[in-house]
Amino acid sequence: MINDKNSQKIVDIIQNWSRKHSIWVLAYGTGCGAIEIPPTMTSRYDAERLGVRGAATPRQADVLLITGYLTTKTLKRVIRVYEQMQDPKYVIGFGSCTINGGMYYDSYNTIKLLDRYLPVDVYINGCMPRPEAVLAGFGKLQKLIAEGKATGATKYKENIEWYKENQKKVITNWVMPDYNW
Amino acid sequence: MQEIKENLIQHIKTQFKEATEKVYDGNRLDFTVDKQCIPSILTYLKDRLGYIHLSHIACVDWLEEGKFEIIFIVWSPEEKMKVFIRTKIDRDNAVMPNIDMIWRQANTYEREMREMFGIEFIGLEAPDEFLLEDWEGPPPMRRDFDTEAYAQETFWHRPGREDALDVREEIIKRSREEIPDFAKKYSR
Repeated sequence: MINDKNSQKIVDIIQNWSRKHSIWVLAYGTGCGAIEIPPTMTSRYDAERLGVRGAATPRQADVLLITGYLTTKTLKRVIRVYEQMQDPKYVIGFGSCTINGGMYYDSYNTIKLLDRYLPVDVYINGCMPRPEAVLAGFGKLQKLIAEGKATGATKYKENIEWYKENQKKVITNWVMPDYNW
Repeated sequence: MQEIKENLIQHIKTQFKEATEKVYDGNRLDFTVDKQCIPSILTYLKDRLGYIHLSHIACVDWLEEGKFEIIFIVWSPEEKMKVFIRTKIDRDNAVMPNIDMIWRQANTYEREMREMFGIEFIGLEAPDEFLLEDWEGPPPMRRDFDTEAYAQETFWHRPGREDALDVREEIIKRSREEIPDFAKKYSR
């Protein structure tokens, strides 16, 4: 019965509907953008009314917010965190640094294109994006989840070799598990 | 204030004959010394003259001269006076005496200078890595390190849009604003 195409569709719709309304964000700030998260979460903008709230550990979280520039040193930790997260998982690139390097375009130790290393579902541009923009980004992510289009994690699994190769290009001393499942 | 400065110059001059001073307005005084004198002049300032607080250690890269200038800033809470001790060392053979037995916190500054400028401190006991992890290139704060070229070859860059339009002109077209005269010279 469950293998039937139509009933799978219904299950997907219910799953996506519930996922969309409980986006838990990992409390992990990488760059200067983390300063925009407290006003988004607290009473003025109150992201929790959309189901967006903080999660303490990677294993409880659904969304990894990359808030700003990523140094190669931080990228190592971020990859480790991303690999620990359980499905369903999404990545939001936050600020212009994750899109094209932003003001750190000529820096010797920050990566410029986040989507070469991790699958990004939604980008929020701006330097810094205001809490309204952050909420709009979460709205976009909810829309993608409801339509079943937020497939970053699947893309990552399918192209794991390409991603690993890119990651190992900047992380020369790879001292963590290979995560090759 | 003037009295304190003259007194200090006299003290330093009798102990360290080669020191040259430079007097600034306010509570600041500069001394330029040889690099061998650095530990003794700092110990003298700290133990005898009451300059017990190490504010900062800075490094300036004088690429054209082929020198690094290292500046120690010490502060006396009693006399409210800042003293800058400057010294120049060779850029190619950058070796400095270690002063972390005088102030323990100098250790951190020295590790940073070692990593960012490649200055060797004799007898500095600290792990090799400080801020940069797995760094294999040249010391990045040296002025002859081309950070943009390094970034170009190490990381991917997103190509710009091909229809790169002038933002100002596009806004004018859309909203039919007048462009002010002073802004016209910035147009592409």
